[in-house]
Amino acid sequence: MNITLRAFIKKELAQTLRDVRMRVLLFGAPVIQLTIFGLALSTEIKNIKLAFFYAPDDVMARRLEGDFYSSGWFKPVDFTAGEDPLELIVSGRADAAIIAPDEGLARSSERGEGRVQLLVDASNATKARTVETYVKTIISAGWAGKGGGAANPPPVKLDVRVLYNPAMESSLFLVPGVIGMVVCLITIILTAMSLAREREMGTFETIVSAPLSDAEILLGKTIPFVLLGLAVTALTLLAAYFFFGVPVRGPLWQLALGSLVFIITTVSVGTLISTIAKNQQQAMLGGFIFLFPAILMSGIMYPVENMPTTVIAAAYLNPLMCFMRILRSVLLKGGEAYVFWTNMGALALMAMAAGGLAYNRFKQTLD
Amino acid sequence: MNGFDLNRAYSVARKEVMHILRDPFTLVLALGLPVMLVTFFGYAIDFEVRDIKLAVSDLDQGPAARRLKEIFTSSGYFIPVEAGSGTVGMLDSGKADAALFIEHGFSRTVMGGGPVTAQFIMDGSDNSKAAAVSGYLAGIQRSAAFKLGGAATPEGLAVETRFLYNAELNSQWFTIPGLAAIIIGLLAILLTALTVAREWENGSMELLLSTPVRPIEIIVGKLAPYALLVLGGVFFVYLSSRFVFGVPFAGSRPLFLAFCLLYVVSALSQGLFISVATRQQQVAMQFAIIIGLLPSLLLSGFIFPVESMPPFFNYFTMILPPRWFMEAVRGIFLKGAGLRELALPFLALLALSAALLALALKKFKTDMEP
Repeated sequence: MNITLRAFIKKELAQTLRDVRMRVLLFGAPVIQLTIFGLALSTEIKNIKLAFFYAPDDVMARRLEGDFYSSGWFKPVDFTAGEDPLELIVSGRADAAIIAPDEGLARSSERGEGRVQLLVDASNATKARTVETYVKTIISAGWAGKGGGAANPPPVKLDVRVLYNPAMESSLFLVPGVIGMVVCLITIILTAMSLAREREMGTFETIVSAPLSDAEILLGKTIPFVLLGLAVTALTLLAAYFFFGVPVRGPLWQLALGSLVFIITTVSVGTLISTIAKNQQQAMLGGFIFLFPAILMSGIMYPVENMPTTVIAAAYLNPLMCFMRILRSVLLKGGEAYVFWTNMGALALMAMAAGGLAYNRFKQTLD
Repeated sequence: MNGFDLNRAYSVARKEVMHILRDPFTLVLALGLPVMLVTFFGYAIDFEVRDIKLAVSDLDQGPAARRLKEIFTSSGYFIPVEAGSGTVGMLDSGKADAALFIEHGFSRTVMGGGPVTAQFIMDGSDNSKAAAVSGYLAGIQRSAAFKLGGAATPEGLAVETRFLYNAELNSQWFTIPGLAAIIIGLLAILLTALTVAREWENGSMELLLSTPVRPIEIIVGKLAPYALLVLGGVFFVYLSSRFVFGVPFAGSRPLFLAFCLLYVVSALSQGLFISVATRQQQVAMQFAIIIGLLPSLLLSGFIFPVESMPPFFNYFTMILPPRWFMEAVRGIFLKGAGLRELALPFLALLALSAALLALALKKFKTDMEP
């Protein structure tokens, strides 16, 4: 590597990492985010406050109630039998209420009218849908088991097996997602703001007047962020492996190559944003205009396939989605060649397009 | 020594507005973000998982096997994909999300009335999908038992569900109003953190301080335009929820406004504190992302319910303003909750805002006043 460029990169790294707070934030923030995602958040809905109303002599309902609270999804609510179930939900003391018929479950089902009423607070629609599924599952299992229905086993059974993540732990699914998100966020915002800063402070002119070629300036300003991005990726991957038990089932070279090409793409996007922005505030806002759709359409939190067709088409232009797929495939599934090379190809095309565009815009701003 | 001169604060505010207007790009970006978020959550994101790619390996080819496949596809959740030779390999490459295996003799056993098992394998690497699929399976198994095995009734006990506040389980009713919290958290904290830090970085803060304008007037003047900008964003969220997505507004508007103002104060105070403490835009930005953006997006209950978190994090969210604001927004919009129902969120938000404001002003004073 040429000596001017090396000196330039050293200067940029020193400048970014000079501030202790910056060092702490740069490497501390990803770990905080991993912790939040890995420990606090869960896609599973739990601790649903359930009130079960039934007549005092209804043995069947009492058994069913036990099934609900021992499932781990529901927790009991304090209430007196005379209370209005609706009022319990309106006041927020319960999320759901089940009301069994007054004559008792056993008798009403003998007459062929066995039904319970379920009231759900649907101010959170997703949660409400899950609550209904849970209730139906528990009731039909409990009913068959407690002699309410036929005693023989169900005639057709589905034997269900979950691959790659048999315990369905949310952290195994969310942690690879957050690695992609953190790396994307840091590289784009940092690159965009650092270049916008030079412009805002007027130090950009100093660099331009130095005896450096256009390519040297561009590489000197961007390579440090590629290196920082790789360091953050490595750090978060290590944390994921050691603290959250995320497996690495595929080859490491896929991980390294995928990360490198992804980071080159995001640094190019950051550079592109900085050539449009006039100051750091604009660079930051511009970064978020790119980041929000990228994060939302990556499959980190919501499956992309669920979105309307036009959005899915746009999602294929999202580098974060390709990186996400590579990450999950390598970490959880063992890195199947088809997944790797298709996403890798898309990423490489995006890296070239974004890099070329950034170089062009950058040259114009230099002149 | 006079306290606070509104005129001088107003002049600073006018200067800041001119700063913003001189370069409308900032304004476009700041207003573009709410529009984009609303569009995304309104049109692109659907929480109900559908179109799960199901590969079927049918070695039986009998009538009962065909019926079972029909039950899957007619549920509306699954779409069949062509199963090649290696069905499990299709899960590896992501060409299928789930696979159904029907063995030889499936139909014969069903006809004979014996218990029979079909194997179902799904990709657990995407939890949001896998969790939804396992929810659907319970229903499918019930209807298979009924349609194929001739079980007496599909369910011994019917469940009659009534969904309160959102009878049709419209996801937008729940996400769009919640965006108010995200937008305040993002814009108010990030923009104020940067705007004051910028004056430091450029050295123009010293200049401002040497004028007769008092520090408190500088702050009020600098923050007021951003408060307005942020409230504009919230107003946009309100309008689009009401008129584009038809979200009912059951509660009181003054109460909603009061909550918004309280939350904006807490967010501006955080932004101010960050910018005084860091004095540098890049550091301020990183800080603002950690204490502003992430909590409002992830720990507020916007997507991931607070009640499902482990106890430690559940208590931890209580010191975060967005959690209380989110609870209030959803309560006011859908449930028509009044001050009586929202007493706890209101008091918590009031206390947090007051504490954050006091903290920011104290930091500002010790750093500023001569």
